[in-house]
Amino acid sequence: MKTLSPLNSSNPCLLKTHFLKVPIFNPIFKFKPLPHNTHHARIAKVPSFTINSKLKSSQDINNKGKKSVSQKIVLSETSPPPLAVDKDDINGGSGNESVPVSSKKKGGVSGLAKKLSKKVLQILSNLSLAIGEMFTIAALMALGTVIEQGEAPDFYFKNYPEDHPVLGFFTWRWVLTLGFDHMFTSPVFIGMLALLGASLMACTYTTQIPLVKVSRRWAFLHSAETIRKQEFSDTLTRASIEDVGTLLMGAGYEVFLKGPCLYAFQGLAGRLAPIGVHISLLLIMVGGTLSAAGSFKGSVTVPQGLNFVVGDVLGPTGFLSTPTEAFNTEIHVNRFYMDYFESGEVSQFHTDLSLLDMDGKEVMRKTISVNDPLRYGGITIYQTDWSISALQILKDNEGPYNLAMAPLQINGDKKLFGTFLPVGDINSPDVKGISMLARDLQSIVLYDKEGKFAGVRRPNSKLPINIDGSEIVILDAIGSSGLDLKTDPGVPTVYAGFGALMLTTCISYLSHSQIWAIQDGTSVIIGGKTNRAKMEFPEEMNRLLDKVPEIVESSSSQQVDTITSG
Amino acid sequence: MVKLVDTLLLGSSARASRFESEWRHGIFYSKRLLGHLIFMIFSTLEHILTHISFSVVSIVISTHLITLLVNEILGFHDLSKNGMIISFFCITGLLITRWILSGHLPFSDLYESFIFLSWGFSIFHIVFCFKKHKNDLSAIIAPSVIFTQGFATLGVLTEIHQSAILVPALQSHWLMMHVSMMIFGYAALLCGSLLSVGILVITFGEVIQILGKRNNLYFLIESFSFVEIQYMNRNERNNVFQKTFFSSSRNYYRSQFIQQLDRWSYRIISLGFLFLTIGILSGAVWANEAWGSYWNWDPKETWAFITWTIFAIYLHTRKNTKFESVNSSIAASPGFLIIWICYLGINLLGIGLHSYGSFTSN
Repeated sequence: MKTLSPLNSSNPCLLKTHFLKVPIFNPIFKFKPLPHNTHHARIAKVPSFTINSKLKSSQDINNKGKKSVSQKIVLSETSPPPLAVDKDDINGGSGNESVPVSSKKKGGVSGLAKKLSKKVLQILSNLSLAIGEMFTIAALMALGTVIEQGEAPDFYFKNYPEDHPVLGFFTWRWVLTLGFDHMFTSPVFIGMLALLGASLMACTYTTQIPLVKVSRRWAFLHSAETIRKQEFSDTLTRASIEDVGTLLMGAGYEVFLKGPCLYAFQGLAGRLAPIGVHISLLLIMVGGTLSAAGSFKGSVTVPQGLNFVVGDVLGPTGFLSTPTEAFNTEIHVNRFYMDYFESGEVSQFHTDLSLLDMDGKEVMRKTISVNDPLRYGGITIYQTDWSISALQILKDNEGPYNLAMAPLQINGDKKLFGTFLPVGDINSPDVKGISMLARDLQSIVLYDKEGKFAGVRRPNSKLPINIDGSEIVILDAIGSSGLDLKTDPGVPTVYAGFGALMLTTCISYLSHSQIWAIQDGTSVIIGGKTNRAKMEFPEEMNRLLDKVPEIVESSSSQQVDTITSG
Repeated sequence: MVKLVDTLLLGSSARASRFESEWRHGIFYSKRLLGHLIFMIFSTLEHILTHISFSVVSIVISTHLITLLVNEILGFHDLSKNGMIISFFCITGLLITRWILSGHLPFSDLYESFIFLSWGFSIFHIVFCFKKHKNDLSAIIAPSVIFTQGFATLGVLTEIHQSAILVPALQSHWLMMHVSMMIFGYAALLCGSLLSVGILVITFGEVIQILGKRNNLYFLIESFSFVEIQYMNRNERNNVFQKTFFSSSRNYYRSQFIQQLDRWSYRIISLGFLFLTIGILSGAVWANEAWGSYWNWDPKETWAFITWTIFAIYLHTRKNTKFESVNSSIAASPGFLIIWICYLGINLLGIGLHSYGSFTSN
């Protein structure tokens, strides 16, 4: 007993559907998507109830059903689809006696609200609007990479001046009022994203979810003419439909055989997966919003041996950010060290951290490095940077003195730090001294007070060096660790969305193929179509059909020869 | 390999006595020599492979171009097909050699990712070749042009440069997945958008021909009509050049050709979209693991997202079946330019977190 699946001709978002699998009657209904209807087929505003009993082939339906061909009506054993099935879902239609009374009685305002929401939903799920939105977002993003972000207004005054504007009209006024200097958090951009999200929700709700129910319905085609009009069709003389069915099952199709008719499909997941894609996109958007509104972040450079409290470093990013108990943790940097390649460049840098709670008890200890963060209580600590904080030296066996090192050049992982040990009168204006430079913690280069190169020392070697009469021993180079801290409540949601998106995108690459066949006397007429793999389908079908055994009758018995048929 | 040997020996020498340690030092040095020898062999192998693949591809491209302009010479097609297969193996060998030499997957900078891109193209081309038993011309046009691109730029970059070390931020398992997926995605999407451009040129070729008869454009249209004629030749063995039916059958074959191109571009762009999605998402997860936030509106990330959006528009324009091929081709054609901006342009400017691959590298 099959229920109706009306043809959607008014909603452009639901195009290229393979709805109507009902054998004979394909009445055309006009309808509007109704917000309260969930899974049942929707039937239109009733007064415009026209039953056009035109037999449409699926081919025509693909062409949006504008032209319908009258075909020979083949009666099947199924009764005409009852019109009374989904009457309880009819809402908003006047003049139909079976409209549930409740909706009529709800009063004018909510009726208006319903109509408005229907209209809004219909507008939002328009495909062209969605394409326009996507295009606008892409254009805005491109603009955001061209225009320098986050600079002081002065920068924009200089670069987009009013007297000779870029492209003839683009001045700093455009940039600053529209918020293009912080494009990715500007109201324009966020608004477009929100609109796209609304469109996604509307489209998923109105068109994709009903698609689930409808595409799971399968219906036989009973007319040979219809089958011949499919994208791919073939006729096998002297074959049996059961053989075809068996072969298709072997090829992985789900086969349904009823009397002389056969229907098989494969790859239904490929049709339903786009729904998953849209839902996971929505999930990512929700997670992203959560992250933007509710996370904490901060960064700190801690010399080896010092502590800091988590709560001092983290700052909120949005209005939903609430600190947790874990913010009272104190973090102690036990040791910071680096690994080097043979060529001397930095290979990896590590920090040995201890986490102490408010009582001073160590709750966690871990050595982190780049790409290997520490997670505790919702807080994640990443190793992102390093620097050198001080040199510990002995001068003439006095000391140890700690000389703070200043960054002279910072270029990614290639840095230069320097420090200065004054010699002689410290208070004179042109005091001279010994300079020490270091690129990393491995070796220190020393220069005398004329600036001439004096020597290189490794901190571990404890070898003294004599410069300008002083004996310097470099005891240690103390590095400091650059850490980034973060809490992000949206991460689980976003990760779930990512995983779902990856999976559903993979699945939606599958192609949904459908095959119909009918046994006409001794020959079998087969037709089929597919929605994505349009090139491989005919070849695959041909290969399959070549395997169908040809039935050769000889006097009384049937011999089966496996010669190519069709 | 050298490192493995080194660490093994160093570990064992720590426990040995002084005499033994000296003996081991002797072996250590000779093993080092051996290691250097192996290194030399591999790097010369790499040199050789690069040159072979470069020359083979140049030959193949020239044969294709000749085939396009002149009527088909028998045997050329087999030559080009075999040439492509040879170059595929060469590039594979090249990549594996670099991998062994440097100890990490060949992804660390622009040069290596270019090689990987060419490898991706050659894979797709091979898949094209083997699926199309009828040797369709679409399998010739797009990959040839793409190979030209890939190798021209490779040629620009080559002085077969030494494998660089991986900076700490790149030392992660995510590197493999993210970069390989992105590059496969770029390769597929480039192929697909070139096919779309082809569709547009054929569809509007006549219009352009009528509108403006500038010489170079005319030449292009004429070459495409040769393409169509050869397509017809291949599909119908009988003589198509009967004057009475020529124009109508030519239109028929043109629409068939467009349909073929359209379907091919749809399929390959879908595949590329899939790879691009996985690449972008794995990049985001990696960024979160390494730096704490999965999306930074970094220029490279943003342009990858723009590419993703453009091809999402392409996929959605196909929903409308009336002008399916033309509309979607219009949507996919700018994709070609955008992918090159995303891949090369950002690196050339050297800004943002992805600046490892820039020419103006530190």
